[in-house]
Amino acid sequence: MSTLNFTIQTAEPLSQFTPRLGRLSLHRHEGPPAQDILTPALITTTSRGIVPHLSRDNVVATSPIAWTQVHFETFLEQTPPVLALHKGSHPLHTFLGYEPEKHILALSLRDPHDGQEMPPNTKEYVTCRCVRGVRRVSPASWRSLVLACKPDVVTALADTPFTPLPHSQKRITKSLERSTAWLADLLKPSQETVPTEHPAVLVQMAGGNEVRARKAFAEGLVERLYGKDQELVSPLQTLDEGIAGYVFDLVPLQLSLAPVAAARVEETVSSSAHERLLKASLAPLPITKPRIVHSARSPHTLLRLIQDIGIDLFDAHFAQRAADIGIALDFTFPAPYSTQTEEQHLALLPRKRENRTDLGHNLFAATYAHDHSCLAACFAGAASFPSISQLSSEFPVCLCGACSPRSYPSWIQHSALDTLPTDVGTFQKPFTRSYIHHLLHTHEMSSHTLLAMHNLTVMEAFLAGVRGVLSKVDGAKLFTEEVTRFHEVYDEHMVVFEEAKVEWASVERARGKGRLQREKPGNTTPLADSTAMSARVSEKGAL
Amino acid sequence: MEFEVVAKCPVTNARVSKMKLAHGVTVLPTFMPVATQAAIKGLTPQQVESLGINLILNNTYHLNLRPGIEVLREAGGAHKFQGWNHNLLTDSGGFQLVSLNKFTQITEEGALFESPFDGKPTMLTPEESISIQHAIGADIIMQLDDVVSSLTTGPRVEEAMWRTIRWLDRCIETHEKSGKVDTQNLFAIVQGGLDPKLRDQCVDEMINRKHRVAGYAIGGLSGGEEKDTFWRVIKQCADKLPFDRPRYSMGVGFAEDLLVCVALGVDMADCVFPTRTARFGVALTFKGPLNLRLSKHQAEMQPIDDTCPCPTCSSGTTRAALHHLVTLETVGAHAVTQHNLVFQARLMGRARDAIMNGTFPEYLKTFFADYFGDKGYPEWCVNALRSVGVDLLDGKDNTAVVTGSGAVWDRSE
Repeated sequence: MSTLNFTIQTAEPLSQFTPRLGRLSLHRHEGPPAQDILTPALITTTSRGIVPHLSRDNVVATSPIAWTQVHFETFLEQTPPVLALHKGSHPLHTFLGYEPEKHILALSLRDPHDGQEMPPNTKEYVTCRCVRGVRRVSPASWRSLVLACKPDVVTALADTPFTPLPHSQKRITKSLERSTAWLADLLKPSQETVPTEHPAVLVQMAGGNEVRARKAFAEGLVERLYGKDQELVSPLQTLDEGIAGYVFDLVPLQLSLAPVAAARVEETVSSSAHERLLKASLAPLPITKPRIVHSARSPHTLLRLIQDIGIDLFDAHFAQRAADIGIALDFTFPAPYSTQTEEQHLALLPRKRENRTDLGHNLFAATYAHDHSCLAACFAGAASFPSISQLSSEFPVCLCGACSPRSYPSWIQHSALDTLPTDVGTFQKPFTRSYIHHLLHTHEMSSHTLLAMHNLTVMEAFLAGVRGVLSKVDGAKLFTEEVTRFHEVYDEHMVVFEEAKVEWASVERARGKGRLQREKPGNTTPLADSTAMSARVSEKGAL
Repeated sequence: MEFEVVAKCPVTNARVSKMKLAHGVTVLPTFMPVATQAAIKGLTPQQVESLGINLILNNTYHLNLRPGIEVLREAGGAHKFQGWNHNLLTDSGGFQLVSLNKFTQITEEGALFESPFDGKPTMLTPEESISIQHAIGADIIMQLDDVVSSLTTGPRVEEAMWRTIRWLDRCIETHEKSGKVDTQNLFAIVQGGLDPKLRDQCVDEMINRKHRVAGYAIGGLSGGEEKDTFWRVIKQCADKLPFDRPRYSMGVGFAEDLLVCVALGVDMADCVFPTRTARFGVALTFKGPLNLRLSKHQAEMQPIDDTCPCPTCSSGTTRAALHHLVTLETVGAHAVTQHNLVFQARLMGRARDAIMNGTFPEYLKTFFADYFGDKGYPEWCVNALRSVGVDLLDGKDNTAVVTGSGAVWDRSE
């Protein structure tokens, strides 16, 4: 049995909904423990089991990748799913190329960012999606798949309806009953005499947009069980005893709150509603377990969720999505102080709109064609410093593969005569905005690779900044001040994302991909209509 | 350039040489991966160098259009722009003008083509091509040549051959006046279609300019001609070209083609094949290609090649995992690209070692036995290698010989 220990490290007296620092340690029944994770922390999202755009060597070289979320549904196109065929002590790690010492693999059935309509779930199964269409997964088969894959952490099946709204009272009640029963099913002790790896179990907090339903579901988790119910999960006295953490998927929550506006999420409108619903779920529960949020839309949302609720883990979906559409993130927490002049930055800061700075650069934009500076103005590359020990404490350094590319420590030798260079392992000059601009317009995959490494690293630096402020004396107060300042400095509407999506889509959809035809002056295709386009490209889940 | 032949195969015309350029020594024979738009598809320069590759190719035609010479000048050349600290070769752009642009007209002055940007007639002259390549800053630059399809016949072939020679003179003039001869090396391109007489004349003329060119390419091939003609032209040119200059066969990338070319005395080759085929999910191995998209690979829990040192195989990526990714996730393309580039580099690295050790003929025999095995040896390879003293069929009475190109593919059963 893998155990996920979470220790809260905030010195100040803790209440139910205050920001907190924590440490996650995973102990496996077999194999090495994974490196501890300090919270608030980042979850890396995957597609078909891999981190988009990052080959295995780049995943290992990208240090922010630690807790990684894999969803099983894409593997259901084959029967039996190939993931479940692999043998060994860490089949999921080995098959997908993650390192047990470094990567905690969390498995869920469904992609938390997918908000598309689905056929209804029933008492017997959950419907999910793979490239060959809709598949059904029963709690029993989920249990056996999980035991075969041996992830470190697994989210129990939940009955989250993706059917047309509104959902009736009866439907919500059913959802609670099924989610509870399916959780109990996964918590059942294994029947085998040989102890096998049993992952730590997370629970998706059910109840949709009903405060009372959410509260009832949470209360059910801590209720003492009797009779048959207890026998099923024995020796557990309550379901909560078997739970390692609480999960909130914001996509279905958002859909249930604002089905019409879901395509363009009005974050500020719904943030108080989110807060109310999340609090309703957490109120009855112990405060000592990690709280996980998927698909938060922006760093601003992350800060609010840390500040007002005390969330511990967030996925980097928005940052990884930014890499898909050609955005290099460029922000820090705490936000740079205004005493820093433009000259102190190595490069131009992102664009300002109504006094608020963009969170990053849309490198598709023509202005970057001649911009030969490094990706972010907030971060230097390691090559700017004489040695790694002299990395500046005054100016943050981005150690990603784009800002601080590093030649590999060893190279493959193909013949006895091949001479290997002597400068292996050294930091190289950063890749430039102009280069990535060029790669984006020529539809070269390397652009997204460099951006994915960079954006994940910026997000990790952001959360390290959060932890830094929280760990100070009077941390909670300082944190509140810094959150306010962050909101004042950075644009939350993320207009730059909408702009980049339009340009990305026009390159992506142009026939012949990187074709020059598209760049002919005056060649305005109907695709360039930004409103129509942003509606069309609004990715799955709309967040 | 310092070019030194360090070993010669006692049987075939294969040789090992060291070519010292401004960005380091490249040991030949070697295969050059193609970074058309200043990136090996999907990889970072750090990944490429870690594969043991230190000479890659950029395309002048593409870089001239995007990002454009102005951007490259500002960035300090293509090496700095793409973060590549090793050797680089650029072609002249002549081939793409013909292959990508159906309105190109060749005049004595240069190639007149329709600009893909604004459709205006634009002229690429030999002088212009060289000055663009100077701005790119590659260690090896190619003359502008008058490229005709290798299937063309008649007087056009001869015209193109003589014009290529005249253009070479103009390229040499421009290059020598630029003051870049110490850092950039100009290669001539032998043309003359499939006509042995024309090839002979072209090689003779170009040998006359030997002291003004750093190396020679054999152009105008790999355009759909019969393989039997292909190797004869390569042999004819390689036999005549000066011993103390590198020889570069353009557009060659299949494993068997590469080894035949090496045996005939070729030192360098380039092709998009290994990287392009990787994106379609085909992994190259010493036992023939594997098409990872085929369902027969969907549950195979072994790497592409468990003796391969590439990051994909050495990290234990299974064929099943790749089957799950290729053509659906870019990571699938990255993984197979890394593997295929290492395959090409191993193929050539093993050739270098074999030539050094005097065992190149045995290497050829082993390679063909493993790669073609029961599928049958391509007849043209057998004939080509016989011409340099290696009989692949020696002691192989039961081995079939197939006509045509004989290239092998992984097919579904």
